[in-house]
Amino acid sequence: MSTTLLRTIQLNQFSLLGTALIRRRSNNVSVRCCGSQTATTHEAKQTSPSRVAPKNHKSNKLDEILRDYEAVIGIETHVQLSTLTKAFCSCSNNYGSVPNTSICPVCMGLPGALPVLNSKVVEFGVRLGLALNCELSLKSKFDRKQYFYPDLPKGYQISQFDIPIASGGYVDLDIPLEFGGGHRRFGITRVHMEEDAGKSLHSDTGDYSQVDLNRAGVPLLEIVSEPDMRSGVEAAEYACEMQRIARYLGVSNGNMQEGSLRCDVNISIRPIGQAEFGTKVEIKNLNAFSAMSRAIDFEISRQALLYDQGKADQIVTETRLWDEGAQKTVTMRKKEGLADYRYFPEPDLPEVILTQEYVDSIRASLPELPEAKRRRYEAMGLGMQDVLFLANDVSVAEYFDAVIGKGAEVKLAANWIMGDIAAYLKNEKLSINDMKLTTQELAELIAAIKDGTISGKIGKEILFELLAKGGTVKGMIKEKDLVQITDPAEIEKMVIKVVSENQKQLEQYRSGKTKLQGYFAGQVMKMSKGKANPGLLNKILLEKLNAKD
Amino acid sequence: MATRALLAVISASPNRRFISSSSIRIQSSLSSFSRLNFQRHSRKIHRTAGSYSSDKESSVLPPPDVSRLAETARISLTPGEIEECETKIRRVIDWFGQLQQVDVNSVEPAIRADMDGGNLRDDSPETFENRDSIRASIPSFEEAYLKVPKILNKE
Repeated sequence: MSTTLLRTIQLNQFSLLGTALIRRRSNNVSVRCCGSQTATTHEAKQTSPSRVAPKNHKSNKLDEILRDYEAVIGIETHVQLSTLTKAFCSCSNNYGSVPNTSICPVCMGLPGALPVLNSKVVEFGVRLGLALNCELSLKSKFDRKQYFYPDLPKGYQISQFDIPIASGGYVDLDIPLEFGGGHRRFGITRVHMEEDAGKSLHSDTGDYSQVDLNRAGVPLLEIVSEPDMRSGVEAAEYACEMQRIARYLGVSNGNMQEGSLRCDVNISIRPIGQAEFGTKVEIKNLNAFSAMSRAIDFEISRQALLYDQGKADQIVTETRLWDEGAQKTVTMRKKEGLADYRYFPEPDLPEVILTQEYVDSIRASLPELPEAKRRRYEAMGLGMQDVLFLANDVSVAEYFDAVIGKGAEVKLAANWIMGDIAAYLKNEKLSINDMKLTTQELAELIAAIKDGTISGKIGKEILFELLAKGGTVKGMIKEKDLVQITDPAEIEKMVIKVVSENQKQLEQYRSGKTKLQGYFAGQVMKMSKGKANPGLLNKILLEKLNAKD
Repeated sequence: MATRALLAVISASPNRRFISSSSIRIQSSLSSFSRLNFQRHSRKIHRTAGSYSSDKESSVLPPPDVSRLAETARISLTPGEIEECETKIRRVIDWFGQLQQVDVNSVEPAIRADMDGGNLRDDSPETFENRDSIRASIPSFEEAYLKVPKILNKE
């Protein structure tokens, strides 16, 4: 049950996190890839303290293992594209429709039907390839990957085998601070276009399954990484960055829960210093980034144990499933021999030809990508914690850029967005785009506080009003008469009044209880309805308290 | 049927030179990490096809394993049919063997045989009118789903 608290939570795009990864640095607030730092993680730790101790113990064990063995990890990511139609027919590409309603002879594989490629799929493929710094194949083709399965109507999947649309790229990312921070660069072997299969629902009872072919033919981009990752943390962050990039580009909504982002992990370990790779194991059924990390950690331990016991030959090339309930990997029924997909070029589809002009025009239209944003925010002087938070969600980054574009000071804007605004959005389960506080008003609010028109405290009150109801800063200041009192004479009048009405406290102050200054300050604030400038107030107050006789 | 079997042979036969020899490794679902090599490899193969042409003996290709082919294509054959197929398929393979004798050293590898690419479609949804008859023609369609035997593993 408490695992649920610690699992990554995703709400809209501006989501929250508490994850099992907390176990590594149990005292820090986690800023995980898909979320913002909040009180929840603290709460989670308070309500289940017994969780922390055993997990710490576990992470020490993993560190020990990693002193003797090196984990070699590669990831295959399938990104379901957010096109309006499927890859090879004009059926709607909708998540959640009534089963078997978005179908036609092409995606059902009925005799005589022919595939026609969706131009958007090529565009998205080029966009993603460029974003991953790949070489594009100006000429590529489709191939048939043949196997029999109930959710594969044609008996083959149209994919790209030996000439993918993009290859030989890399991605730069930053490891979150609570896992040590640091830059990493991971290689991308290839990106290719293919179609999805239908969805199978297996009944618990009975010897039958149910197939929904709405998803058959939906376009996918498969991203294959180089085996450059060395830990669960690196792997999870790589997957996060794939999601981030997909969302930044607008090619997919990248929801692991919906299945529009799927990651399979290939992992082997080898004794440190050994040049050859160990036996590779594939892990499937990973539904969250935290599950990826935990599955990898488990698998490292499992394989290391076998090595230690001299049973390394018991590690076989196989596919294992991650069992979320039991928190371990389990063997799928072992296949006899390797699958033979009998690839050959898809005869029903022509070459995919890209012109240099087409590629250049897409490159020119790419938005600023997460890596570039992070480097730019860093150059602006923001700390890594802020940088990672602001650049994580493209909508948040855009909002932030707009606010500072209107002249607001960088650090102040960052603080407001990461603090009160983030908390508000989390409570109301809103995305930053749905918020009533406009970028213009936030910029004005920051300016008003900076130039002293209103105090910081009043600013916060205005913020809450604006968040809830919209409106303008200027309007609110006027309406509620919130302008800060900065006239020393006015403040002095109030101070004198308060002091004269509180003789007893004055004597106590004079006889040594200097803490009572706070009491007087509070009284003046109350009298001024919170508008007295705190700095001036305290200065004048101190004079009066110490001078009078 | 023979055409399907033929296509299956060509893609599966280990000595095929049109498809890179590393493709057999690739065909496994857990193929090697450095898949980039296959791409460069396949280009090389096209060019060296000519170098094999001089030696006729080395272009003898192994006979087709028709039982395995039938298994992968999910086609059931009687022993008599297997024998019959083997001869016919063998003949077709030999025709391809003859193609290997062509000198292609100075020819740029072609990906496809057609003239231009293209034939792309706009991303605008269209509902297929007659979905009812598609569903009606499915023998085991129940409660909005296709009812199928429970199979947990692919292949």
